[in-house]
Amino acid sequence: MTQQQATETLTFSLNNNEVTVPKGWTVMQAAAREGIKIPHFCWHPGLSIAGVCRFCMVKVEGRPKLEIACNLIATPGMQVTTETEEVKAAHKWALEFHLINHPLDCPICDQAGECSLQDYYMSVGKYKSEMTLKKVLKPKALDVGGDLVLDTERCILCSRCVRFEKEVTKTGALGIFDRGDRAIISIYDDKKISHNYTTNLVDICPVGAFTSKDFRFRKRVWFLKDIDTTCPGCSTGCQVKLYSKPEERRYYRIKPRFSETNGHWMCDEGRHLYAHMNPEKRQRTAFTPKQDNERGSKEQRVRADIRDALAFLKLKMAKYAPSDIALLVSSQLTNEEYKKTFAYFVTFLGVKKVFAWRDSAENIEAFDGLLNRGDKNPNTKGHAASLEAVGLPPVVSKSGFADAMASGAKFFIAIAPENTQGFVSSFDDQLKQLSAAGDVALFTSQAEHAKNPAFDLVVPLKCFGEKSGTFLNAQNMESKLAEKPFFPLNDQVKDLVEITALLQEN
Amino acid sequence: MSVKKVALPPVDKNVLSQAWGFVSTIMTGMRLTLTIFFKQLLKLEKSETLEWPEAPATYGDRFKGRHFLTRREDGQVRCTACYLCATACPAECIHIEAGQHPSNEIEKFPVRFEIDILRCVFCGMCEEACPVDAIRLGPEFAMVGGPGENWVYTKDYLAARPELNSGISSIKSENNKHSTIDHEPTAKERKTELHFGAGH
Amino acid sequence: MGNTTDKVKILTAFEGIANSRALATYQNHGGYEALKKALTMAPGDLIEIVKNSGIRGRGGAGFPAGLKWSFVPKAEGQKFLVCNNDEGEPGTFKDRYICELSPHMLIEGMAIAAYAIGAQKAYIYTRCEFYEEIAWLETAIKEAYSAGFLGKNIFGTAFSLEMDHYSGSGAYICGEETGLLSSLEGKKGQPKLKPPFPAVSGYLGKPTVVNNTETLASVPWIINNGADAYRAIGTEKAAGTKLFCISGPVQRPGVYELPLGYSFEKLLYEDAGGMLPGHTLKACIPGGASAPVLLPDELKGLTLDYESIAAKGSMLGSGAVMIIDTNTSMVRLMEIIANFFHHESCGQCTPCREGTGWIANIMHEIVSGHAKEEDVDRLAVIAKNMGGKTICALSDAAAMPTMAIVQKFGDELKAYIRKGKAS
Repeated sequence: MTQQQATETLTFSLNNNEVTVPKGWTVMQAAAREGIKIPHFCWHPGLSIAGVCRFCMVKVEGRPKLEIACNLIATPGMQVTTETEEVKAAHKWALEFHLINHPLDCPICDQAGECSLQDYYMSVGKYKSEMTLKKVLKPKALDVGGDLVLDTERCILCSRCVRFEKEVTKTGALGIFDRGDRAIISIYDDKKISHNYTTNLVDICPVGAFTSKDFRFRKRVWFLKDIDTTCPGCSTGCQVKLYSKPEERRYYRIKPRFSETNGHWMCDEGRHLYAHMNPEKRQRTAFTPKQDNERGSKEQRVRADIRDALAFLKLKMAKYAPSDIALLVSSQLTNEEYKKTFAYFVTFLGVKKVFAWRDSAENIEAFDGLLNRGDKNPNTKGHAASLEAVGLPPVVSKSGFADAMASGAKFFIAIAPENTQGFVSSFDDQLKQLSAAGDVALFTSQAEHAKNPAFDLVVPLKCFGEKSGTFLNAQNMESKLAEKPFFPLNDQVKDLVEITALLQEN
Repeated sequence: MSVKKVALPPVDKNVLSQAWGFVSTIMTGMRLTLTIFFKQLLKLEKSETLEWPEAPATYGDRFKGRHFLTRREDGQVRCTACYLCATACPAECIHIEAGQHPSNEIEKFPVRFEIDILRCVFCGMCEEACPVDAIRLGPEFAMVGGPGENWVYTKDYLAARPELNSGISSIKSENNKHSTIDHEPTAKERKTELHFGAGH
Repeated sequence: MGNTTDKVKILTAFEGIANSRALATYQNHGGYEALKKALTMAPGDLIEIVKNSGIRGRGGAGFPAGLKWSFVPKAEGQKFLVCNNDEGEPGTFKDRYICELSPHMLIEGMAIAAYAIGAQKAYIYTRCEFYEEIAWLETAIKEAYSAGFLGKNIFGTAFSLEMDHYSGSGAYICGEETGLLSSLEGKKGQPKLKPPFPAVSGYLGKPTVVNNTETLASVPWIINNGADAYRAIGTEKAAGTKLFCISGPVQRPGVYELPLGYSFEKLLYEDAGGMLPGHTLKACIPGGASAPVLLPDELKGLTLDYESIAAKGSMLGSGAVMIIDTNTSMVRLMEIIANFFHHESCGQCTPCREGTGWIANIMHEIVSGHAKEEDVDRLAVIAKNMGGKTICALSDAAAMPTMAIVQKFGDELKAYIRKGKAS
């Protein structure tokens, strides 16, 4: 019965074009699918219908008044037009009503550049305001908890945030207080918002009422470029947009984009996974042990070109029997990298001691019910599958690091995870153990990891924003990193596909 | 190799009258030049030539010279760090870092505001783009210095010239945000000393 | 059929009767007979009777009550009946009169309505300012319970009805049916998006009928006397009697029960005794603050029913006839109306939230002498663009009187501005 209902369709006319949609769809949904832009503020595909902004007015033939498209269920034969003079006037006035008490402090508002009010002023507004009076003043720059700064003056009371709190996180931390044009969005009794999804409020806010503390005042959005990629924060693999100013090689923020995996949302934890890619955090060059004839610092290692470091690595590997070499690999690489890495080290060189470098106290099963998972590696499944592909047991367990230490290997080729923020156990401890375990070649993207001078052979890696490839998430769905990633930090950082290619060619 | 012989054009019979035409025009021109030369030599007329840089020279208020930042009455820079000047700048010579102001009234202000004056093309777009009249191009035109000079002007330097040579006050009153100049500079203010040199 | 415009006492039948609120008095005058009779009939037949009686909602919109009842799904399940006793329209004081005279008439009407639509629970939602009426209603509910007219198995039938009373917190918008339901649910009183309509998804998401006190209180009489008798009163399209609340500088202001289609002039000059000495009629608001104002010319020959007032560009609304005399400044009147709607807008829909505030602010500017003449035209433009664009009718309620006053008294407003400027 329900199956039948789901496939049942109807046809109506939208701007004189016949449109066929599933039964129960609203005109707004149909228009969104057809690419017809009906201006709206309060409607959001991931939330319930509020119908309060009264912006999405459309004309239905035969009805005396204009109707709001977001709550207009399509009926067969209905004739809807979105571009008559009457509709245009309604849009213009709806915008005017939204703007009369808006402070227009765009110069200091982070939303400027991606603000619905600005966009709609250009597309359906462009009028001279009739408003000549003083605006209503409301509290500004309030800390409401989480990653949020609230400006009630900029707010247009679309209630998206209130509905998000009620429907998505089910915390209900926000409400609209007072009535009329005195109404403000606020939290209850100073009970600050505290959950892992606060920055979604910044995304869904069509204006600059909610801004992110993390991104606050850091960069105007029109300087930023974005790529479509996958969040590497956990095994959910949310589809995201990564924003960077490429000239600076600096990353500024991560926002979700719609996909089956994550819907419209992502967690705050994932949002912060751009900082480790910024230049000051990165391992910029390779290190090789200082030779006797070399001058320089007192340290036992010197900066080197990555090719030299790799050549050195090959020399070193030649000194050990394959059974004395252990390959310690994080679960944060792409499938392509695993394939090449294992093809080289396992199949070609015959290294059989392969271990997963993971958080030794992780709770892989943990899941917050929405998106965030306890497995802080984006490609655990892909890692296991790649191991299986080269004839090794597909075991990717939290004891991998300890097993490697106990394996009796003399030379460790250690490919470190780029993101260790979610680690429960101390990653520093692991590094300390590793440095004491024997000869180590450390592959990492983080300067922090290679800080210890005991690591005298270090190879710099790319981070996820600079790589292409695929992850296999917890639900066995493949998710792609950017096809055209950002330009890497410098010509020294490489991903493992490039590194194995270099190793093979020398 | 042979040389082709070309016949000279025939001499105009009116050559004398033509020559007179040239001479008379030269003399008409030279009359003005010589008149002024002798008048000024005999101090009958004031010379327009300045003995710059010994004598001060001023440009009009609209001259697009070295930038300065206007300030609020309490002395803080008016700039809200909106980056519009940096966006408009064709030479990409403005670097801003914004920060949270302790006062919620102001909210956003520039922690750093730097202009790489060597890149600047003095187009005045920054001035036009500014929504709060915080940046202006002043009348200072003489920027001389060697490679050792600091050619990147910092916020402190840009905002630390309250009384510029032509008398434009860079302090503007709060309730007069949108006027161009607070008061018309008086003749005395206009004659203040020229600011020479470059950098700081 | 209906063409009698003679006075019939239906709602005010207990006028002049001592101790009229008591259950005993009500029963002595045939009280609860209608309920007894109704419970012997099929609910569908009851709805048919009410439909045939031609009674229309007395709250303001004038939607046929029987039709509203018939929208409720027939299927078994939890349903609710709510009496809208939140008499908030400025100038209206009719529902409280019913509560004062005969609360049992309302309770009986509600019991019949609940039976007709299949509701197991009924609420009376009264505005909190009516503290005396609240006490009377609560006493009456208690009496009805102890007499067995409410509760389980009424009159020995299978029909059971629980009734409760709820008092609002003083918001005008809670007089709007979905706003009232939000408030009843314990939420902020703001109207809900329609569709779905309350008859399908109302109180707690269950089918709910919301009727005005006056509508429900008329039901027992209709059941007792039949649909045709009710239809015989009033006009063709507006059957029955209506309570009119006349206020302003008239000799005898108050509530009058008159058949619909009654002459306005008769109401003003005979029933209410005409204008007070020294006062001349300047205008009249025929249906509460949200109805557009009518000029004396338009009032000539006006009959008080839905259609003829609508033909003059106003509305019958709640039947609050407000007489305005020549001493009244339309500027001040407009300011008061604008202030009222600004204060009472729930703030949900943008055109109303911002528009009411804007109109009120312009009126303050005009009153304080800071406005320009073009602001008067601006008022009309704002009103025109906020009307008909919102979830509930409050934006229309604010826009319509504004447009009417600007249209009919624009010169007075402009003269006020000029004078304010000169002084």
